[in-house]
Amino acid sequence: MQVDCKNIQVGYGESVVVEDMSITIEKDKITSIIGPNGSGKSTVLKAATRLLNYQKGEVIVKGKDIRRYKPKELSRCIGVLAQKHSAPADFRVRELVSYGRMPHLKPLGGFSVKDNELVDEAMKTTNTYHLRDKSIFECSGGEAQRVWIATVLAQNPEILFLDEPTTYLDVSHQMEVMQMVKNLNKKTGVGIVMVLHDLGQALEVSDKIIVIKDGKKYSEGTPAEVITPKMLKEVYGVEADVIHLEGRQKPIIVYKELD
Amino acid sequence: MGKVKRNEGSVSVLRAGVVCGILLVVLVVLMIVSCTVGSGGYSVREIMEAVFSEEKSTIKTIVLKLRLPRIMMAILVGAALSASGALLQAVMRNPLADPGTIGVSAGAGTAAITVLLIFPSLSMSLPLFAFVGAALACVLIYSMAWKGGIDPTRIILSGVAINSVLGAYNSMLQLLNSDNLSGVLAFMNGSLSGVVWQHVEIMAIYAAIGLFLSLFCIRPANALQLGDEMAKNLGIRVNLCRICLSAVSAFLAAATVSQVGMIGFVGLLVPHIARMLVGSDYKIMLPTSILLSGCVLLLADTIGRTVVPGLEIPVGIVMSVTGGPFFLYMLRKRGKFNAG
Repeated sequence: MQVDCKNIQVGYGESVVVEDMSITIEKDKITSIIGPNGSGKSTVLKAATRLLNYQKGEVIVKGKDIRRYKPKELSRCIGVLAQKHSAPADFRVRELVSYGRMPHLKPLGGFSVKDNELVDEAMKTTNTYHLRDKSIFECSGGEAQRVWIATVLAQNPEILFLDEPTTYLDVSHQMEVMQMVKNLNKKTGVGIVMVLHDLGQALEVSDKIIVIKDGKKYSEGTPAEVITPKMLKEVYGVEADVIHLEGRQKPIIVYKELD
Repeated sequence: MGKVKRNEGSVSVLRAGVVCGILLVVLVVLMIVSCTVGSGGYSVREIMEAVFSEEKSTIKTIVLKLRLPRIMMAILVGAALSASGALLQAVMRNPLADPGTIGVSAGAGTAAITVLLIFPSLSMSLPLFAFVGAALACVLIYSMAWKGGIDPTRIILSGVAINSVLGAYNSMLQLLNSDNLSGVLAFMNGSLSGVVWQHVEIMAIYAAIGLFLSLFCIRPANALQLGDEMAKNLGIRVNLCRICLSAVSAFLAAATVSQVGMIGFVGLLVPHIARMLVGSDYKIMLPTSILLSGCVLLLADTIGRTVVPGLEIPVGIVMSVTGGPFFLYMLRKRGKFNAG
């Protein structure tokens, strides 16, 4: 399965944020979308997952435009965790994760044994099973983020979209979430698309990176192809070297010292 | 074994069962008490004897024709109002939403005042006009708030604006007709006095339809609590869902307003207390609200007709006077209610 965005144009009201963008997202891979603030990364992610309507072009999932899907039918193919979400303070973790099964339930129908199993499985995969009886507000930032990911995972999607899953987390929680995402992809084969701010993380975890600048695609490819001093200069306006260290598979970015 | 059949939040289901059980008992006790007290006080035994005897008696008439319909009406009205408020709070994702927010009270008020003061010959059809007025005000507020979708903040703001215009009209008409306000005042301070079985039947039909429809609102209401984007991700049509939930809510509120006039605070207060008792899951919270508000309204009405001998205090006034302080008390104690 793949998600094909073809020449999409997206905006809010009159203003156009993303213009004529075409990207392809494949299952089984981890894809990162990077770019400066305001470049339109989140907007692309939202358009590809019908959280936001696109004005032109089309988004094709399994040979069909997402506008022609029934909402629930699409929810069974793709799951998306936006930056904004909230839950009533009294919701327990297990209760929240259970909502991921909603697209699979019949109207007024209850949970089957399989639904319950998938909810447990989603919590185990995201290492949140031990939190199941806690309230979501008793969880730390990293735990809460993993619980939300578990909720989307319980949808049993083929591709999972995460909008800035590590923003507002400290380094250890960021690493925790990234490691979990990587394991998830390896173990279950679910495709993952993330909007990321941290280029180091994108380098470390992605199979493919898409760089966006001013609402247009700047480049795409493997981390080694995409993360170059030239790209950093042209897209972010920063001077940096990309160097290889012995014993490390992925290169690292070293920014120029400040005056 | 650990492999016990775990439903979604089995602990809270158990707790809700206990809470609802207690509420049912309280409701039955309140019904019995409410039958016995009033301008004539009778013992349960006297009532039983009178009701089950063949002969006609004053007790039998008072209990069966006056008190019982009133009791049933209080329960039905309470159920409808709290379900209405609970659904609106999900639509707005705002704990302060109540049927007044979407213009139901002001719309019904405008229609009622117009009929009572300008076209008194139509006052036999007052419930119909009040219902239509409530529905129109609600539609007006939503159409003003619509802008490529429904945004809760815009509904609330447009509600404030339209409520204020309708309020001004209502005040003006009352000023111009200040000598003829008893009917208007009775409507504005919702009262259950003079309720007969015929009213109960109509209300029962309204409530049955509205409450049945609200069953289908439970899951969307829950999803809306997780934020619009999460709800969309879960396959909810957010705009459509807000409109449907609002429509059910408006229907329930308009039905009660048209039958018994304006009773404030139930739609706001009771869902809150229910939330504190059993949590925010509408599957549990909605039935709890419905039961609880039956108790609350019945209690308020019973107090209203007995506390000052010879004087009926409208249930709307009792609700506001006692509900406000009680609500504050619950708010201060909230930590305790969440601990369980």
